[in-house]
Amino acid sequence: MGKLTNFKRSLWVFHASGGSCNACDIEIVAVLTPRYDAERFGIKLVGSPRHADVLLVTGAIPRDFADKLRRIYEQMPDPKAVVVIGNCGTTGGVFYDSYNIAGPIDEVIPVDVYVPGCPPRPEAIIDGIVKAWLKIEKLEKELEGKKE
Amino acid sequence: MSFTLTTPSGFWNPLLWLVFLALFGIIAYLIYSQGNPSYKKDTEQIKPYLSGNPEPTKEKIQVKAGDIYWGFIEALKGYYKVLQAIHTGDMRDYILWYLGVGAIITFILIGGV
Repeated sequence: MGKLTNFKRSLWVFHASGGSCNACDIEIVAVLTPRYDAERFGIKLVGSPRHADVLLVTGAIPRDFADKLRRIYEQMPDPKAVVVIGNCGTTGGVFYDSYNIAGPIDEVIPVDVYVPGCPPRPEAIIDGIVKAWLKIEKLEKELEGKKE
Repeated sequence: MSFTLTTPSGFWNPLLWLVFLALFGIIAYLIYSQGNPSYKKDTEQIKPYLSGNPEPTKEKIQVKAGDIYWGFIEALKGYYKVLQAIHTGDMRDYILWYLGVGAIITFILIGGV
């Protein structure tokens, strides 16, 4: 795994649940509990996408939610990364090709990291967020390059 | 010519205030220049977060004085519909109504005796 060098501040995460059964959401909560305690690394859940670096998305994304998810993604500042948690968001899962589903998530917004599982384990979620962290570092370097 | 106005509690000098405002402007610009360069104007980024819902227009979210009486007006709309139709805003019309209703009341009171 790469070494974190450029993105020196804490990584703030926003969680959007789009038609999830709540299993993935509970595992995200487990990441924050004392057993895993992601906050000790500065990984913190925030209440607004405007404060977030990473967007965690769960669920197969019903049609009604697709435009809301797009809006949430657009409200995030650059550099940003999207992490899909769970099978439903990754492929559509058991809801694949359903008449009321706009997902999988990569058909609605660009996705950087997939964390499959039903639900994925907290270790896998943390690993996914670290991968997103590396992606954001890369994007930030690109942004700095443009600035110079 | 002195610009300083001295009072028992202090003094006022407009030139000093201009210097202060210029300094304030420079500090404000320095803070502004440290902002996020990737900030995109005229996109969703400048709008408030409302759980992903679109931002309603100001007219839609404005609470009007009439909204306080909405239930009252809705419950009595049959009465208000008639009343609003005859409410012309012309004082002469009201005086006519006053005289007309007064005449009817007088007729009832006197005629009934």
